[in-house]
Amino acid sequence: MQNPPGEEPETTLSVTPPKKWAAGVPAVVHALEYSLEQTSPRRTGVDLLAMNQVGGIDCPGCAWADPAPGQRHRNEYCENGAKHINDEATKRRITADFFREHSVSDLAARSDMWLNQQGRLTEPMIKRQGSDHYEPIGWNDALGVLAGELTSLASPDEAVFYTSGRASNEAAFVLQLFARAYGTNNLPDCSNMCHESSGVALSETLGTGKGTVSLDDLHHADLIFLVGQNPGTNHPRQLSALEEAKRNGARIVAVNPLPEAGLRRFKNPQKPSGVIGRGTQIADRFLHIKPGGDLALFQALNRLLLEAEDARPGTVLDHDFIDAHTAGFEEFAQHARTTDWDDVRAATGLTREEIEKVRDEVLRSERVIVCWAMGITQHKHGVPTIREIVNFMMLRGNLGRAGTGVCPVRGHSNVQGDRTMGIWEQMPDSFLDALQEEFGFDPPRPHGLDSVNAIKAMREGRVKVFLALAGNFVRAAPDSEVTEEAMRSCRLTAHISTKLNRSHTVCGETALILRTLGRTERDVQADGEPFVTVENSMSEVHTSQGRLEPASHLLLSEVAILCRLARRTLAGKPDIPWDRFEGDYDTIRDHISRIVPGFHDFNARVTRPVGFQLPNPVNEGVYNTSVGKALFTRNERVVPKAPEGHLLLQTLRSHDQWNTIPYTLDDRYRGIHGSRHVVLVNPADVAGLGLAQGDRVDLVSVWADGTERRARNFEVVPYPAARGSAAAYYPETNVLVPLDSVADISNQPTSKGIVVRLEPTSDRAAPTTA
Amino acid sequence: MAREHDSRQAVPNTPGMRPDSDGVTRRRPLRRRHVEETVEIAVPVRTAYNQWTQFKTFPRFSGVVHGVEQVRPTVTAWTIGYGPLRRRFAVEIVEQDPDAYLAWRGLEQRPSHQGEVEFRPTASGGTAVTVRMLLEPRGAARRLTGFSRIAKVTARLVRRELENFKRFIEGLGQEGGAWRGTIRNGRVQHDHPEPPRSRVAQWPVG
Repeated sequence: MQNPPGEEPETTLSVTPPKKWAAGVPAVVHALEYSLEQTSPRRTGVDLLAMNQVGGIDCPGCAWADPAPGQRHRNEYCENGAKHINDEATKRRITADFFREHSVSDLAARSDMWLNQQGRLTEPMIKRQGSDHYEPIGWNDALGVLAGELTSLASPDEAVFYTSGRASNEAAFVLQLFARAYGTNNLPDCSNMCHESSGVALSETLGTGKGTVSLDDLHHADLIFLVGQNPGTNHPRQLSALEEAKRNGARIVAVNPLPEAGLRRFKNPQKPSGVIGRGTQIADRFLHIKPGGDLALFQALNRLLLEAEDARPGTVLDHDFIDAHTAGFEEFAQHARTTDWDDVRAATGLTREEIEKVRDEVLRSERVIVCWAMGITQHKHGVPTIREIVNFMMLRGNLGRAGTGVCPVRGHSNVQGDRTMGIWEQMPDSFLDALQEEFGFDPPRPHGLDSVNAIKAMREGRVKVFLALAGNFVRAAPDSEVTEEAMRSCRLTAHISTKLNRSHTVCGETALILRTLGRTERDVQADGEPFVTVENSMSEVHTSQGRLEPASHLLLSEVAILCRLARRTLAGKPDIPWDRFEGDYDTIRDHISRIVPGFHDFNARVTRPVGFQLPNPVNEGVYNTSVGKALFTRNERVVPKAPEGHLLLQTLRSHDQWNTIPYTLDDRYRGIHGSRHVVLVNPADVAGLGLAQGDRVDLVSVWADGTERRARNFEVVPYPAARGSAAAYYPETNVLVPLDSVADISNQPTSKGIVVRLEPTSDRAAPTTA
Repeated sequence: MAREHDSRQAVPNTPGMRPDSDGVTRRRPLRRRHVEETVEIAVPVRTAYNQWTQFKTFPRFSGVVHGVEQVRPTVTAWTIGYGPLRRRFAVEIVEQDPDAYLAWRGLEQRPSHQGEVEFRPTASGGTAVTVRMLLEPRGAARRLTGFSRIAKVTARLVRRELENFKRFIEGLGQEGGAWRGTIRNGRVQHDHPEPPRSRVAQWPVG
């Protein structure tokens, strides 16, 4: 293990050609290097060998499903998962001395990477009003401060309870129960910022907000679309599933503004062919699409399919499916036939011939799956785009059959489960009624605040207390300066956290850091060593149990912190057995089994080796939409445009990053080394803007409110990005995303398709990491 | 599964479908070379059919099935094998009519297989269960073994498994469960719209 860095690392950018393949031996080497920097070989071995195994630790890194128990590798994890889990299992510790040495102002000037590298938090800390330092505080006093602030509010709606997708089902259920017993539905979550558009669009059209595919479906599809998604970095274990699909004869069409390495070729490090061979080609066809052109692409494909049916009636569309299970086809078809090829060309940058070749792939395929991620959801027209994908799938009946379906690929390991457990500001009456019947109190009915509206409410002084169950809200949220102003205007901010991050340093007048156990650590309660449960992206619910000794014996579990807070705040009204919840998580699951549909016999079923699969109505022939059928929709055309001299920016992760936390300054697959302050631009656009490689620029976003949002001091890197587009890392460029720039209907921040200009700043010194 | 460079157009419906006189499109019974075995079982059709739908119980009577996962009503994953050898493959049920008929096909390309099982009442009140199965080995297995050899082995296997099933359900006397849904073209059909609605969360997932 290496000591934490004392100073920020120096940034010196070097650029190499982008990689043409992902994983392979370098992935293993980098994962082990980082792991051993953080912790001992023994701890590394214990947690890696328990990762994603039956009865082991569910990797917090992503929500990708695990293969069936007999099909799992002994090493069932990816490079980024290994880094993430050992980042948590680190032996570095932050003590009270650290906070005496570093003021909150000092820490607020540090980079995300430096803060994370300091290690695990080991005891509760408080920053008292007027102070610029955190200091230790006992658990009783810390929870007393928080409970006292909550009980002093004029209305429960002056508090906000945020959840990150790391939280277990049990912790999420307890948090929403506490918030509603306290009196508010203010339950924003990280889903608001990642796949809210998916949930909205799929619920409207198919009657379920969840994806419909399993790993077996992916393995047996004929054609898989990867749209707005970078599996090599964000869901590397998906590459194994794609490799299996290719082995079974599948074709893959990748659609992305960047030719990501993981879309091109995968060298599976668990196979000889991945170590010494060429690996597996992933995308058979790559569509180098402009950001936000996906809606137009699927509209064009739908028009082509309708025309193919016209030419050969009865051979293209699945009329049985359309007639029996859908509504709205005629209106949709009439609109789709008007799709204009000039608009399609302008929106996508693709030629008609390129799209016709994809149509031919579709016509040759009996089973089609479309996967997508935030390259779709974070656009203003994310919801219409997903609706149009659903239209595309329904035309040929690619729903409800083996090897077919829609696959929103979620990022955080339990982001789907947390929502299932009721972390949503708009829960339906059916759920609230069930809570009322089970616990004997009347939950609040008015809808609460999502992430964007919570920031607005904090900024306007309508919210005074912010509690976060995990996460790094300040850095995940858009419009960084506005979000930080909002957080600083709170009377109290509190974070249940494992490690230090910027959300602890940009805080309210009073701030609490409530240190908690990580996924990797043993949790010992009155009734023994409980496990927790999670739900992955494919609706499989299973257990997770830590194996490592905790970073400190003073850490409390998330469930314990929330239960103790509830006892202090609610003082027995309503009468909810918080103490039993803390001592025995089985009792929480017993209540969940009576409240959340699909969780009957929760305790019995989840302890099976495979856990259990939540049914998906679409796969059972049921569409819980407004009319009881799947809905075709008519979606207006969108041609994303940047004014002359501007580009459409997408924010993205580097390969060496997990959510808001960079592990190094490198982005290996894209050939970026030593700096994150880079903007990737097509060489023709670089020249057209009068710039050259290495020029320093500020990124300035353009928005209707006239406010200048500026990300300072980035180096220009010519890169094979789609013409007219740019890419830069988040969270550094979240500052450019206006809070009011949200996706239609879903209210999800639009971290893609931001109009920016690059202002040269040749007088600046090299970028800094902060 | 469509082949990689197959220029033919895949019809969206399952291959081998036929419209019946009642206007419903059903899968065409296997006409090509296949093995066919029938066994008479001394339980009513409903009992035999219901037990057959409990795929997870197949390892209780089968000599080769070691485990079955019910991924969803139309998809199962089977682990079969002899001795230490194991093979897992996924199977899609493409058609299912309660108390009458079930047709499946393997989702793997190599080897590909498909089959069907029919349940008919006998004059004595029992059930005649007929299994037809077509196994198409690919690659080396295809070159090394002719169809007749494969057919003989398959027929012997199917016969033995049917007899195992007969002893199992006759010994039990009653089925241990039932799935009474209908499947057409690989999709579950519902006569009434409600079945699973109460069993899943219906709020959007972000």
